Amino acid sequence: MQSPARHTWLTLVMAYLAAALILAFLSHSLPRMLPGDFVTAMYGSSDVTLDAQQEAELRAYFQDDSGFAGFLGRLLRLDWGYSYTFLAPVSTLFFDALPWTLVLMGTAHLLSSLLGFVLGVEAAWRRGTRTEKAGVGIMTVLEGIPELCSGALLLLVFALHLGWFPAAGAQTAYADHTFVQQTADRLHHLALPLTTLILAYFPGNFLLARAGMVMVMKSPFVLTARAKGLPPVRVRYAHAARNALLPLVTRFGLRFAFMITGALVVETIFSYPGLGTLLFNAIAMRDLPLIQGIVLAASVMVLGVNLALEYVYTLLDPRVAHAS
Amino acid sequence: MHLDARRRILTDPWFLTGTALLGLLVCLAAAGPLLVPWDPHDISFIPLDPPSARHWLGINDGGMDIFAELLSGLRNTLIFGVTAASAGLVLGAVTGLFAAWKGGWTDQILMRLADIVLAVPSVMILILLAAFLRPPPWVLALTLAALTWPTTARGVRAQALTLKHRLHIQAARHMGGSAGYIIFRHLLPELFPLYLINFAAKLRMAVFMEASLAFLGLFDPSQKSLGLMISFALKYYYMDIWVNWLIPPVLLLSFLIMGATFVTISLERVFDPRLKTAL
Repeated sequence: MQSPARHTWLTLVMAYLAAALILAFLSHSLPRMLPGDFVTAMYGSSDVTLDAQQEAELRAYFQDDSGFAGFLGRLLRLDWGYSYTFLAPVSTLFFDALPWTLVLMGTAHLLSSLLGFVLGVEAAWRRGTRTEKAGVGIMTVLEGIPELCSGALLLLVFALHLGWFPAAGAQTAYADHTFVQQTADRLHHLALPLTTLILAYFPGNFLLARAGMVMVMKSPFVLTARAKGLPPVRVRYAHAARNALLPLVTRFGLRFAFMITGALVVETIFSYPGLGTLLFNAIAMRDLPLIQGIVLAASVMVLGVNLALEYVYTLLDPRVAHAS
Repeated sequence: MHLDARRRILTDPWFLTGTALLGLLVCLAAAGPLLVPWDPHDISFIPLDPPSARHWLGINDGGMDIFAELLSGLRNTLIFGVTAASAGLVLGAVTGLFAAWKGGWTDQILMRLADIVLAVPSVMILILLAAFLRPPPWVLALTLAALTWPTTARGVRAQALTLKHRLHIQAARHMGGSAGYIIFRHLLPELFPLYLINFAAKLRMAVFMEASLAFLGLFDPSQKSLGLMISFALKYYYMDIWVNWLIPPVLLLSFLIMGATFVTISLERVFDPRLKTAL
């Protein structure tokens, strides 16, 4: 029989490949299911009338008769079509917006995971105290507030009424800043969307880390570690907490759908020039090639992150590699 | 054990708060037409009129009564959530039970299919579908269900596998019970708490998705929705009208998702044997 580790890996990678293919196929075939095509979708409800030659030229540009294989090939060559509202190639727009989203989401994830993990572990350690109970209560309430709502409220309070933070954008336009000033300006703009995302991600991480840690603390090996007379910090982090990390990683995939949707919404609320705002504008203008490109590229990134996490999980928990 | 769990869940403050919130919102949505005499699509009022005795929450920029809009949006959001959650639950539970009972190749194929569907980012599919085909909301709700069944299927399958070898199930089998009989008469009812957890979690997910996608402008704009209201109200956030236009849908949406969250978390604490100690 095959080694179980390789078997799970193979099925996992196959599942992700299949998912990527399904997505690519959907975005390849959906435009073909439209009544008419891109050109009628674009100009069907607009006041612009095209003469026959213009229509033929547009058709020739937007219609792609190369079939699914050709479509995949163009995807790999970053030839994702041409946005007709921004008058630029979709891939250029995508890669212009991507860094902002990565900075925003990356910082939010990093901070909320670290904070959630450490505070969750500490809360479990202090289980039953008043502070811990209050903390769990607050986190449960925060877990119930969607980004859409907390973002709108933060915008109202801190941007509009207190005026502490800018309400839109990622940096002051046309400002003549030195590097330090520019960084400070960008952080200033980042503050509100980042806070919204942290408020959305942090409670889930906290609750999961705490629940995991409470379970781990029942195990005999924690008692052994304490009985050996190890300092509490060492028992907590070197012995117990690394096992409490597992539920955080397993649940990540399930929570990822929430996270992506939330990030799209938060960027739109604060007009942060990332992928979410780009997608929002594309939807508002019904710029179909742009929507298609963003969705497909973002999906591939999501798939990549999830697959990488599965790998991290086997590193964290060697039992997974053996049990199949 | 079940009786004990029932007592514990009925005295859990989080569960009670959550069900109270959800119950209140469902009543509000159901009683909507009785509470406001105005049609949410009626545009004959003075735009941006402040709240008055006739129009409790004032009028929006398009001349529509905001309170009527709010209740109609709440109803649509709830209908979307319940449709997506129940369809996903039924699909997942049946698949999970079937896979667990059949075992072998059927099980393998169904679970690999679950892996694939689980890997697909559901938001992206919904965005593509909504942007290209502009389907009615129930189609999107069912699509969401078709993308979220694997979580339920996995959980149900795992529990059903342990049940399968219990004595009473074996007895039913030796009596000559068919697969359908055992699945629906024995396995299905015994996993009841699992369905509750899954339903609440899926409801939360679906409401969140509906509000966010409507906010992004992916739903039919003539269909009222809490997310769409927030999106329109945010355009006027610098005017005083946010008090009666932006805040109400923000609060209702938060209460809705909070209710579902509280119920999910407390049910998980009580019924998940691994989390039981973490209460």
